[in-house]
Amino acid sequence: MTTFILAILSSMLINNVILMQFLGICPFLGVSKKIKASIGMSLAVIFVMVLSSVITYPLYFYILKPLEIEYLDTICFILIIATLVQIVELIIKKVSKPLYKSLGIYLPLITTNCAILGVAQSNITQAENFFNAFTLALGTGLGFALVMVLFSAIREKLESCNIPKPFRGVPIALITAGILALAFMGLTGLI
Amino acid sequence: MIPFVVLGAIGLILAIAILVANKYLHVEEDQSVETVTKLLPGYNCGACGFPGCSGFAEAIVEGRVEVLSNCKPGKEDINFQPILAFMREEKSEIAVKLKIKE
Repeated sequence: MTTFILAILSSMLINNVILMQFLGICPFLGVSKKIKASIGMSLAVIFVMVLSSVITYPLYFYILKPLEIEYLDTICFILIIATLVQIVELIIKKVSKPLYKSLGIYLPLITTNCAILGVAQSNITQAENFFNAFTLALGTGLGFALVMVLFSAIREKLESCNIPKPFRGVPIALITAGILALAFMGLTGLI
Repeated sequence: MIPFVVLGAIGLILAIAILVANKYLHVEEDQSVETVTKLLPGYNCGACGFPGCSGFAEAIVEGRVEVLSNCKPGKEDINFQPILAFMREEKSEIAVKLKIKE
């Protein structure tokens, strides 16, 4: 149980996918203007990340590796991730149309989100067993969600602040992201 | 030989998964939004101020748009004139306020 919690915490805070590994910056800057959209996007990303890791890990070790076609891993993973994103899009369209509209083009862009392919690939090299892969994916997704919601809260607050004209919009967001990354660097000595 | 078979099998299974999901999760939509989306350039650039061309199309159909030339890549003869004609025919009450240039 403790290793489970430690694995989740370490992939969530210490090796954070957005602020430490710099993957998934596109939705990080694109969807984080409203907290509701960030929460929706984070849930979609967690779902796709966990499911794709659960499917790709056994696919690599039980099908690709025994048949010695490991070089097909990138294209196979992308196929699986694209299918999952398509299904998530259908689900979100059915369950909540306003969320679907507010996510807009960023929902299909989860397919090209390097965080998801990054987690799938790093699971192959770093995960010890299947449960470990699942834990790493879940922790990474939760870390993504945490940083997205934090950043969107800061950004919503910044909307009502008196920012100098040249910095309004994306520049102040990028500066804030840099400061947030510095803050998360202080967590590296946690475990 | 084997890589082809494996990739083909994976593709086939995933395609069936999407087909099944599409059947169960189908959502009824107003066809006019789709028609207007097809008449727009399709660059999803956001210059009009709406999220993508489908966002702009939906705003047009709901009457939230007054000036079609907000869409910068759009051309008058292939994009705006057909959209105006379509709106005047299908949604005439909303199309009263719609025009191409300011």
